[in-house]
Amino acid sequence: MLGRRGTLPFLAGPPALWLALFFVVPLLLIAAFSLRAGSGAVGPAGAWVPSIEHYQQVFGTPAFLRLLGLSVATAVGIATLATLLAYPVAYYLTFRAGTRATLYLTLLLIPFAVSYLLRVMAWKLMLGPDGGINSLLQGLGLTSEPLGLLLYSRPAVIVTLVYVWVPFAALPIYAAMQRIDRSHLEAAADLGAGPWARFWRVTVPLSLPGALATFFMVFIPTVGEYVTPALVGGTDGIMYGNIILGFFTRSANWPLGSAMAMIMLVLTLLLVVVALRIVDLRRVSL
Amino acid sequence: MRVSALTRFLGLSMALGLILAACGTQGGGSPGASSGGVESQAPEPNELAILEWSGYEAEDFWTDFAQAHPDTEVTFEFGDTDANILALMQGGSQADVFHFYTGWQQFYVDAGLVREIDTSKLSNWDAVPDAYKELGQIDGKQYFLPWDWGFTSILYNTEHVPEVTSWDVLMDPAYEGHVSMWNDGPAAVAVSSYINGWDETNLTDEQLAEIEADWIAQKPLNAFYWSGEYTDLCPAVQDGTVWVAYAWQGCYATALAAGDPVAYATPEEGRNSWFGLYGISADTDSYELALEFLDMKLAETTCANAVSLFYYGCANGDVMAAIDDPVLIEAFAINDPSILESTNFTPLVTEEQRTAWTAMWERVQAE
Amino acid sequence: MTARPVTRRIGVGRTAVPLRGFYLGMLFLLYLPIGILFVFSFNAGTTLRFPIEALTLDWYAEVIGNGPMLAAARNSLLVGAGSATAATIIGLLVSTAVLRFRFRGRGALLALAGLPLIVPFVVMGVAFFLLFVAVDLPRSLLSVAIGHTIIATPYATLIQLARLSGLDPALEDAAMDLGATYPATLRRVVLPLMGPTVVAAWLTSFIVSFDEIAVAIFLVGGDPTFPVFLYGQVRFAQRLPVLIAMAVLLMIGTVALTLVALRLRTKE
Repeated sequence: MLGRRGTLPFLAGPPALWLALFFVVPLLLIAAFSLRAGSGAVGPAGAWVPSIEHYQQVFGTPAFLRLLGLSVATAVGIATLATLLAYPVAYYLTFRAGTRATLYLTLLLIPFAVSYLLRVMAWKLMLGPDGGINSLLQGLGLTSEPLGLLLYSRPAVIVTLVYVWVPFAALPIYAAMQRIDRSHLEAAADLGAGPWARFWRVTVPLSLPGALATFFMVFIPTVGEYVTPALVGGTDGIMYGNIILGFFTRSANWPLGSAMAMIMLVLTLLLVVVALRIVDLRRVSL
Repeated sequence: MRVSALTRFLGLSMALGLILAACGTQGGGSPGASSGGVESQAPEPNELAILEWSGYEAEDFWTDFAQAHPDTEVTFEFGDTDANILALMQGGSQADVFHFYTGWQQFYVDAGLVREIDTSKLSNWDAVPDAYKELGQIDGKQYFLPWDWGFTSILYNTEHVPEVTSWDVLMDPAYEGHVSMWNDGPAAVAVSSYINGWDETNLTDEQLAEIEADWIAQKPLNAFYWSGEYTDLCPAVQDGTVWVAYAWQGCYATALAAGDPVAYATPEEGRNSWFGLYGISADTDSYELALEFLDMKLAETTCANAVSLFYYGCANGDVMAAIDDPVLIEAFAINDPSILESTNFTPLVTEEQRTAWTAMWERVQAE
Repeated sequence: MTARPVTRRIGVGRTAVPLRGFYLGMLFLLYLPIGILFVFSFNAGTTLRFPIEALTLDWYAEVIGNGPMLAAARNSLLVGAGSATAATIIGLLVSTAVLRFRFRGRGALLALAGLPLIVPFVVMGVAFFLLFVAVDLPRSLLSVAIGHTIIATPYATLIQLARLSGLDPALEDAAMDLGATYPATLRRVVLPLMGPTVVAAWLTSFIVSFDEIAVAIFLVGGDPTFPVFLYGQVRFAQRLPVLIAMAVLLMIGTVALTLVALRLRTKE
């Protein structure tokens, strides 16, 4: 008969093994390939000579570092915009929607269930020279020529990704606001605080962890984005992720691509550690 | 109640998982082959995987094979540059047959990725001119089968652009926002070499740095970098978004046949010409079937389809001799042999050059 | 509004900020592009110009005859089902181990199950790509499914962890006092109580996989999943309407699944 303690290896063992094999080992492989001399599409059978030449090359290429900076800045911008836009929505759902909050939240989340690629394509249709916005503007007689600059630019990437993330961004903020004890607000009111003072001094501080969680939950997938930039970014809207992909496909140089991926991984983990110092993300889990 | 429903639910999904696993192994061919295990004498599987460029999967371009082998399951995997195709092969692609372009032959032979072609088994081999056959030979052995060929030059919109006489029109700021370059490093190096009169196989570091600077300066001129001739370049040329493009003659002929105002330059530096080659993977379990596929590629209907539907030249000399469509005569410059005399044929590149050129291009992208 | 006396409103003064208008405006902007896609799938032309000239159901009819597209959709269903099943099992095992036992490496196991959430997809794509190169496993639907299992694991774990932490361990003690073995207790007491949550975790994992492209691009071989197929075809202007018709059909499916998953999770 299997005792309680005896069950543990069967519970913890398989997941630990699976995650080690398919999550830890692959990440270690990036490190291994990035520290390997040579270039091109080098298989495991080739020579394994340790070298930091690929890191030297990445750090010696201002264009790569600038693009990394630009990608981080773009992701920060997108995460900030998504958070700011989602905040009033979460506020409305928590404090104003009353019994309909669940329905309204569901309405908000439905677009998030629509395929990501489809939503990006929708924006392509909206922004294109023959697209919705242009033909609408022309139909209303506001412009006579199509505005060419809407699509294939960094702003197009930002607009599209903010759109993609806003519904999701409302969730952690909403969760944090749900936990605000209404008596705090009533106490503030009793002490003479006006609506704005209550908002700034009670609601905002108490919902801040949720807002920060939102920020990072948007930032992390966005900083490594490459699909949306490839579809709507044109030649100057691309991000660091596109170059990583480039070194694995179009320009096949796996060790160099690995070094670039490693740099992104370390940077992201650092930012998350910083985030965890600021806010305890576990308190705002969904 | 709930338990049994749940158990059934999980059981069903596990069954689906098992089917999936089965599909995974099936599609991947026999596991022994890629790991270099003992080769069994089992009959060849009746499936063929082709590593292709998108567009070539249309059955028109392998119709003779499809008719001869209606039961064979042909699947396609795609690459979009020669570096990508090579990387996929080096990365253990399960393709039995792969397709790439001139300049990259040596790598496949050096890396042991390709198996020699037994030309005695090809019924259409005699229709291929000797000069073409030689493109597929390394050290006197026929590793590759030449198939499609064509030009690279400047395709331009005659309503917006006066006659083009040089490759440097790609760098002309007058067409800002209406230019499109192919998203490929070696192609960019070739164009710059033509413009500057340099030998692309013998560039100095300074020259490469200058090439990089030129393409960085050229970047804002592009509407986009194209990656598929018929997927993104041609539609944009035809709808008037792109006026000046690095292009193969296929898109030119397509636009010409549609009556669009386009012309295909014969630059003073000369056009570029390339040849597409098919190789059989060294790892294949289906060598005989792959040979058959290559042979049928050269058959008349398939080759003629490449010419008439894709506007690409084909290695079957009889098919090319029979061309009478004026659009095609124009596209292949059949009436003007002087064009071929000034044409630059894509040279073999070294691994060092390949690495330097592709890295250069990624820097341009990142800029 | 009911006749019930209005309770004191808390927050910003009602008239100061038009919050309802903001919410509705946001909803409008969120649904507008999807609506345009919907219209586009019934539009007779291959470009979308207003006003619409003619409507058609042809694109939907063409979906049925498009073999490669249907094959891609089937591939995505298989990968989604396989990876969701694996991720759900992993999530359930991790939750039980972490919540019901104290052992060395408990924190590490939980962290490991949650960490894939904070690794950018492009990095995960590179990692899996190199793994399959290193072990010489051909890239195929199997490699995509393995990759998606890892990506879905944090979701499956967090969802089940939340539910299990709300279940009183005393129930299990009672079952064992009555003579049940611990595995039997898990199977006959815990799992039934977890039922809807397990399904919700599975559905969420399935949707994550079904929609995933950034990792899949690195891992597909000759058989594309639906998003990868869509990505490859999206540049053919003439093919766009059929793709969108198919995508609209799938969208109806995923939205329905999401609603079910949400319901199962909020019911607790």
